[in-house]
Amino acid sequence: MNIIGPELLIFGVDDVAACKQFALDYGLTAADEHRYVALDGTGIEIYPADDADLPAALPTGSAIRKTVYGVAEQADLDAITAELSKDREVKTLADGSIEAVDDLGFVLGFMVTQRKTLELPAEAVNAPGAAPQRGLNITAVSKEDVGTPRTLSHVVYFVPDFPKAEAFYRDRLGFVTTDRFTHVGPFMRPAGTTDHHTLFFIQTPPHMQGIEHFTFHMGGPTDVMTAGTNMVNKGYQSFWGPGRHIFGSNWFWYFKSPFGCNMEFDADMDLHDDSWTARESMPGADNSQVFLLQYREKWAPMGPPPPGAGGKPPGAP
Amino acid sequence: MPAGIRLCDLSELAEGPLGFDPFNEGQDSVLVILRDGNVYAYTDVCPHYGNTTLPWKKNAYLNNRGNRIVCAAHGALFTIENGLCVSGPCKGESLTPVPVIIENNTVWLVTSRAGENEL
Ligand code: FES
Ligand SMILES: [Fe+2]
Repeated sequence: MNIIGPELLIFGVDDVAACKQFALDYGLTAADEHRYVALDGTGIEIYPADDADLPAALPTGSAIRKTVYGVAEQADLDAITAELSKDREVKTLADGSIEAVDDLGFVLGFMVTQRKTLELPAEAVNAPGAAPQRGLNITAVSKEDVGTPRTLSHVVYFVPDFPKAEAFYRDRLGFVTTDRFTHVGPFMRPAGTTDHHTLFFIQTPPHMQGIEHFTFHMGGPTDVMTAGTNMVNKGYQSFWGPGRHIFGSNWFWYFKSPFGCNMEFDADMDLHDDSWTARESMPGADNSQVFLLQYREKWAPMGPPPPGAGGKPPGAP
Repeated sequence: MPAGIRLCDLSELAEGPLGFDPFNEGQDSVLVILRDGNVYAYTDVCPHYGNTTLPWKKNAYLNNRGNRIVCAAHGALFTIENGLCVSGPCKGESLTPVPVIIENNTVWLVTSRAGENEL
């Protein structure tokens, strides 16, 4: 079952206009009235919470209404249909995608992926001892740079029973656990990607079930920083970060959002294959990040130019 | 004159809730809401994690209908009148009330009677 990763997250939200503006400011592009996409076409869809055509909300009212996975080809859809129809209804929708409900009540969709293959350079770094990744006279940054989300990366759910969730995604959909936090839950990747995780579960009481955050991959840590700084400059409020996780090694910066969950930027995640042995550690601040920075308005350790230095002092008309 | 810190004119709350940083911490720590003629004030801390602020942008403390306080991180909803979380991760827990009083159309944070709501 060649599931590649999340293709679309479908939300039913309280404030559609705020969510659409947030999506644009985050760096997604409006593909149509509802869909906001990253560079490869993966993305999110935004509807009012009371839209009658949306799958029903969880009893908790979480805004996530459906998680749609991209698969490689029709044969994968057929295989998923065959597997899941053993014990539940699998609908085929008008667009050819299929829909079913997982063992915890999350609505899932599966579609033949429509994501574009990206051909973009990664962030290039020069380091002593290594061949330069950026050539001579090529500057890395400018003040105007704002990183653009490249592809939908992962989604994280609060779940009332993570062993049940892990078993469903492992046994029925072919996901692999790459690492885990003790008593909290596993990081999982589907068979069609080497990304450390596209899915992470956090054990909670039942009244919390829902989406905790979702995120898109950026081109590198600098893109995380420039995109996050752009959000701060637009008045959005950071939740956690910027920093770098230990499991997955991904850089992160989380923002609160009008989606009723956090929205993250991430970059430079570890890749794994089946030879990897899952690690386990206790949850907590110490095992969650290699380091955590905190945003501060731009500042430099110098005052205005000294008298007579020429040029305009900052703030001069 | 109470022993307190001036937050705003009462009329400024007519446009919607406001966040304040009365102790100069670099981020808002108190939110104030005017509703049906009453003023409600709470610490801007979500009981879910206990150390993060509520809004996704400055002053965005209410849901679209304006009848619930929202924590944007995971969508917790709180009543305006008593700060009780009625939906979301911290259901059953409450925002911490902050004592404020209104004098001469000015909203004051009462610092001499911490923990006791004057309203
Ligand atoms: S931190 Fe407020 S709902 Fe989670
Ligand atoms: Fe994440």
